[in-house]
Amino acid sequence: MGVRDSREGHIVNSLIQTQELQKQYTLGKVTVPALRHINLNMDRGEFVSICGPSGSGKTTLLNMLGFIDSPTSGKVYFNGAEVKYNGLSHLHRLRLEKLGFIFQNFNLIPVLTAYENVEYPLLLTKKSSGERKQRVEKILREVKLWDWRKHKPNELSGGQRQRVAIARALVNSPELVLADEPTANIDSATAGEILDLMRTLNEEEKVTFLFSTHDPTVVAYAKRIVRLHDGAIVNGQN
Amino acid sequence: MFKFIKLATKNVFRNRRRTVITGLVLVFGATALILAGGFISSSFRGLSENTIRSQLGHIQIYHRDFFEREEEKPLSLGLENVDELKAKVLSQEHVKFTMARVEFMGLLSNGEKSAVFIGRGIEPGKETELSGNQSPVDSGKFLGQNANSEGDAEVVIARGLAKTLKAKPGEYLTLMTTTSTGALNAMDVKVVGIYSTGVPEYDERALMVDLRTAQQLLVTHKVSKLVVVLDETARTKEVATAMAARIPEVSLRRWDELATFYKAVVQLYSAIFAFLGVIIFVIVVLSSSNTMLMAIMERTREIGTQLAVGTSRIRLLVNFLYEGLMIGVFGGLLGLLVGAGLAELIDHAGLRMPPPPGGTSGYPLYVDLVPSVFIGVFILIVTTTVVSTIAPAFKASRMKIVDALGHV
Repeated sequence: MGVRDSREGHIVNSLIQTQELQKQYTLGKVTVPALRHINLNMDRGEFVSICGPSGSGKTTLLNMLGFIDSPTSGKVYFNGAEVKYNGLSHLHRLRLEKLGFIFQNFNLIPVLTAYENVEYPLLLTKKSSGERKQRVEKILREVKLWDWRKHKPNELSGGQRQRVAIARALVNSPELVLADEPTANIDSATAGEILDLMRTLNEEEKVTFLFSTHDPTVVAYAKRIVRLHDGAIVNGQN
Repeated sequence: MFKFIKLATKNVFRNRRRTVITGLVLVFGATALILAGGFISSSFRGLSENTIRSQLGHIQIYHRDFFEREEEKPLSLGLENVDELKAKVLSQEHVKFTMARVEFMGLLSNGEKSAVFIGRGIEPGKETELSGNQSPVDSGKFLGQNANSEGDAEVVIARGLAKTLKAKPGEYLTLMTTTSTGALNAMDVKVVGIYSTGVPEYDERALMVDLRTAQQLLVTHKVSKLVVVLDETARTKEVATAMAARIPEVSLRRWDELATFYKAVVQLYSAIFAFLGVIIFVIVVLSSSNTMLMAIMERTREIGTQLAVGTSRIRLLVNFLYEGLMIGVFGGLLGLLVGAGLAELIDHAGLRMPPPPGGTSGYPLYVDLVPSVFIGVFILIVTTTVVSTIAPAFKASRMKIVDALGHV
């Protein structure tokens, strides 16, 4: 799992916590800091937005918290246990079982139908065919796409695709859903629907959401806002 | 697993044009191997039956020491008690018939000119039966088919020898040889026919006489060997083993042990087939690798997504191997169908091959449908596509997730 060493004194309700998290990129001889001394705590059930201008480090931070990129220094605790990033490949089970991802460009598998896209993460688990079917149906009904289940991504609108992506992110009942600019590629009306859906899932299903955006209207949906600038948190730290 | 194979199949047909091109390469490879394998099998079968029917029979029986030491005089290592031996051989299951032969050498003369000959004393009726009642004679008649009221000894001589001695059917020649006691003997024989052995070099020297004529000339009751003909070529080994146990006082040789030319052809054709297999393996590897590399480049972001949502690197690698497997299965199956169709077409086209090296006549072109070749070709094609997918699949599975997700 890549998770070990229960940390003393962590907040009982804390889901994910960073400690002096830093990320630097080396471009030739120049070292560019992407994240600087990030200390962030997220509790279960929160609905948090990371906002900031382009290049502020939003995506980089989400990548660290999604265990798909490793920090240069600092620590991340998930459920109170430190996450070891070395190699990343061992973290796939953590991503599969504890996290859900929603991407700006939806990132659905084009050859699969909406149903099959949502079912895909379940195929990676040992869940029976019956259980898979039950879960996919439930979640597709929740995102109001059951009638569109046999359609491929290219037969769906942007909003529908993003709802498929949300369903895929939620189907494994993750503890944390990370969404990188989830409304950037859809119109404002559909964006409102998507955010309403995420908010409903947060309130009714108690799903913890962390999403990035630079759109002030989207930020307004968040219960807590973390502002990033030049790789550092400027407010909303904890 | 089935779901992932279904996903792989969908991915295979995602870029139809590229898949079709790769599939055509596989179909071409499979077809080429099936046709080559079928042609080689047909050639082996034709050559083996020809070798058996034209000269060797299925099993030959010799004096126990025949292969151990040289004969001091003609037929000093010949077989005695031939009738008793024949009875034993005939009582063996699957033996159709047996016949005796006397091999001898000497000079053949027309009174003005002499030529060395390699002669064979035979039982004409049985030799004709062995060759499927096809007379080898080009002109005149075969031995034993003549109303020979004068009681002349008869000979059929090969084409080249007849040309050397300017002999024609109805003319008389003189056979000279060493008898079994070492003395010289001669006999006038009447040419009744001229034949072809199928091998130009033999045609310069070969002749055949009746077994009794040969024995009279050599002054012996012995024969050089017994030729055993079976009801089925496939049973040769089994019958030879049983016969060796039952008649231990003789030495046995199967046709495939005696047929040096056949063995050389088998070796040559097998090497050609293996070489062809290697060429096709390389073509398929290059083509399939290219297809998979292109697929991986196009799907870089998708690979990143799959890894991000929890797909393990091993799972991703296996998924790509499934794609190679499916390309191989589809291409291989289509190749088998096309290969079988073309083989049938060739079989019914009535095409003929030119004479083989050392031969004098061509032969019909047939392509056998050999189940083992079909299975082998299918396995080769599928294995090759899977093997050629390994490197691209490994590359995909090692991608950095953030880089893959950021790929444009």
